[in-house]
Amino acid sequence: MADIGYIALLLALVASIYAAISFIFGVRGRHPALVDSARNSLLAASGLVSISVATLLYALITHDFQIEYVANYTSSDMSLPYLISALWAGNTGSLLFWAWLISIFAAVVLLQKRDIGKELVPYASAIIMVTQAFFLILLLWVANPFQELSYTVNPQLFNYVQANVDGVGLNPMLENLGMIIHPPTLLIGYVGFTVPFAFAIAALLSRRLSDEWLITIRRWTIIAWLFLGVGNILGAWWAYVELGWGGYWAWDPVENAGFMPWLVATAFLHSIMMQRRRGMLKVWNMVLIILTFTLAIFGTFLTRSGILSSVHTFSESALGPFFLAFLGVTLFGSLVLVFYRRNGLKSEAEMESLVSRESTFLLNNLLLVGAAFTIFLGTVFPLISEWVRGVKISVGPPFFNQVNGPIFLAAILLTGICALIGWRRASTKNLARNFLWPLVVALVLGIVLFILGVRQWYALVVLSVCSFVLYTIFYEWFRGARARHRMKAENYLKAFFGLVWANRPRYGGYIVHIAIILIAIGVVGSYFYSMEKEVILMPGEEMTIEGYTLTYEGMVSSQTESRITYTATLSVHNKGKLIGQLVPEKYFHRAYPAVTEVAIRSTLVEDLYVILVGWDEVGATAFKVLINPVIKWIWIGGAVLLLGGLVALWPERRRPPAIETPETGGK
Amino acid sequence: MRPKKLFIVLILISLVLLPVTPASADEATVSDIAKELICQCGCDMVLSACNHLVCDWRDTMLASIEDQIAQGKSKEQIIQSFVDLYGESVLASPPKKGFNLVVWILPFAAILGGGVVIYLTVKAWVRRGRQSATISKAEKGDEKYRKRLEKELEDFSGDGFR
Repeated sequence: MADIGYIALLLALVASIYAAISFIFGVRGRHPALVDSARNSLLAASGLVSISVATLLYALITHDFQIEYVANYTSSDMSLPYLISALWAGNTGSLLFWAWLISIFAAVVLLQKRDIGKELVPYASAIIMVTQAFFLILLLWVANPFQELSYTVNPQLFNYVQANVDGVGLNPMLENLGMIIHPPTLLIGYVGFTVPFAFAIAALLSRRLSDEWLITIRRWTIIAWLFLGVGNILGAWWAYVELGWGGYWAWDPVENAGFMPWLVATAFLHSIMMQRRRGMLKVWNMVLIILTFTLAIFGTFLTRSGILSSVHTFSESALGPFFLAFLGVTLFGSLVLVFYRRNGLKSEAEMESLVSRESTFLLNNLLLVGAAFTIFLGTVFPLISEWVRGVKISVGPPFFNQVNGPIFLAAILLTGICALIGWRRASTKNLARNFLWPLVVALVLGIVLFILGVRQWYALVVLSVCSFVLYTIFYEWFRGARARHRMKAENYLKAFFGLVWANRPRYGGYIVHIAIILIAIGVVGSYFYSMEKEVILMPGEEMTIEGYTLTYEGMVSSQTESRITYTATLSVHNKGKLIGQLVPEKYFHRAYPAVTEVAIRSTLVEDLYVILVGWDEVGATAFKVLINPVIKWIWIGGAVLLLGGLVALWPERRRPPAIETPETGGK
Repeated sequence: MRPKKLFIVLILISLVLLPVTPASADEATVSDIAKELICQCGCDMVLSACNHLVCDWRDTMLASIEDQIAQGKSKEQIIQSFVDLYGESVLASPPKKGFNLVVWILPFAAILGGGVVIYLTVKAWVRRGRQSATISKAEKGDEKYRKRLEKELEDFSGDGFR
């Protein structure tokens, strides 16, 4: 069985290399037959990688413990969804999943019907095939998911399987809905950036440096950006409900690695609007998409090299140097190419005023890239410090919160300011008129919050800024709906939906801005107003926190083949009224360290979060209880982000090509 | 600098320079201090977030913080005692001194530097925009004469001037 998967990978590598070479020679030498052959080869490679993935999935589902990967990440008692999720739970499996995604995306790029950018496809396909070949080489000779288990390969695992006639099983922490969805979502995001990057390089190679590459990749970039964004939020949710430390984002190197390309891609999605509208920032857009792709690879490098310690990393592997080399070649090669094509990327940028929407877009780019740079610097600074001073240091949440907080706040503020400033130029009179009411709303909200008892000045500032931005968005929607209502005599609701539908990219963007505001509210509330208590209770005893009274009812244990579970039950009263029970748990897996299963009572106002810390033989049980205000808004923000992204992505109806007439000149 | 430009620049600079920290209570609590330290058990989490079921490191460190608070030590003194014991790596963020200042200052310096570059670039674009507006105005004037010339040449090419 393992041989089928391995041989399919080997053939896929041959097909990928052949496709890459044939595409380039075919298109440059004008040999359509060679290009056709390359197309077939690409599709064949895609099929072969799919066969390989299907083989591994079959091995996982049928418990083929002869394969090291299967023995390491599955056990006989695992349910089907978790057996499937084991495909991306380990280092080599997730690498195969990555290669498979590339191959699928490559096939989709090739088969997509397109009016614009056809000439770029062979070049872009060649770039995607080179990337795919790199991953296939790793899978074949460095991290083989089909490695057969033997004593020589992995004595510890071999002995375990011999003794238990079973595999080790999935890490219990990964047995969570979030972990079924989060890794593939994130990986689709990472891998998705290969396509816009490939088209950017294709434009550079073919010297077709007009906007066609941007038009071609807009939807691909949004898809990758959306998946990465949603993947990050799902990861935060998983950490919150599964890791049992009460938080959701630890600024861990691997979390940072997922966040950096998302930030740069956000900057890219904004700055391509400048290129489309005003022909500006051509070089900058190339650099941004190159950085996005290399940061996506950097994330993989961090996860798999073991260079920085992180709760997310796979065990240290030999992959690090390969990824580093690939990163170096990609970044250096791409930037050199941009340099050589700089004349074709010159833009005749002109502006009429320093204060204009264009300027706010530039500042937005600066802040987003600045935030990504800050995260990069913070992530690698422990290494820099060790090299320069020989002193190990940690760069953790206090640094990232202090430095990134103001940068993100400024970026959020800009989303509001941007909507109030027109394209090209803004007069002082216009500015005063546009800013007046949003500022009044922000100020009034700030005062109301202060009167209501909000005394953290930074929270006051953030919430006022959020209200400022929300007002600008809603007012913009209202103005648009009112105009439609007047012109088309539609009722306001219909006018609003008509407005959104008529300009989906723009209004999808606004919805995403609202999502960011919701997330910001959740982050600020939970960061500044979270509170916690640690208590030790005997059965029957109670504790209180912020109006809640928790009574410890007792603990029970249950056992399955692979684990013992201890479940504590707490009755929860709020203002004297019973509102439910919370049941935090601890698992003791036969092959993994103990895992905490937290209990959460979640409302829009706050989460009551209970962690079972430990217990002794006489029944004294330790709990950590937290109140996390408005944290649910982060997850709601994630859903709204998804909605906004989908609205922006929703395809336009394909229009029949315009018929060329002497009057129109075909334009 | 004109007032509106100054206004925007000041807003951005002030936001960028504001530190973000929860307002501290009068007395530091165990939880406050635990958020500033890294648990030494190898979990790489801040002390308050270490979620190991049994963690002697976490328990010892938390007990030490509690003892020192009881002795009336300040937050800074307590944190320093951990640095003396475990080295700089026990801190959840690098102290703002010496070489570590690089990581604290460079992001803001880079953003401010980028801001200056954007300002100069946009200024150049505005200048270019004004020049081309002047040229296009001048071209509009030329257009009038060009049409007149064409018309006169057309008239001339027939049977001479009429």
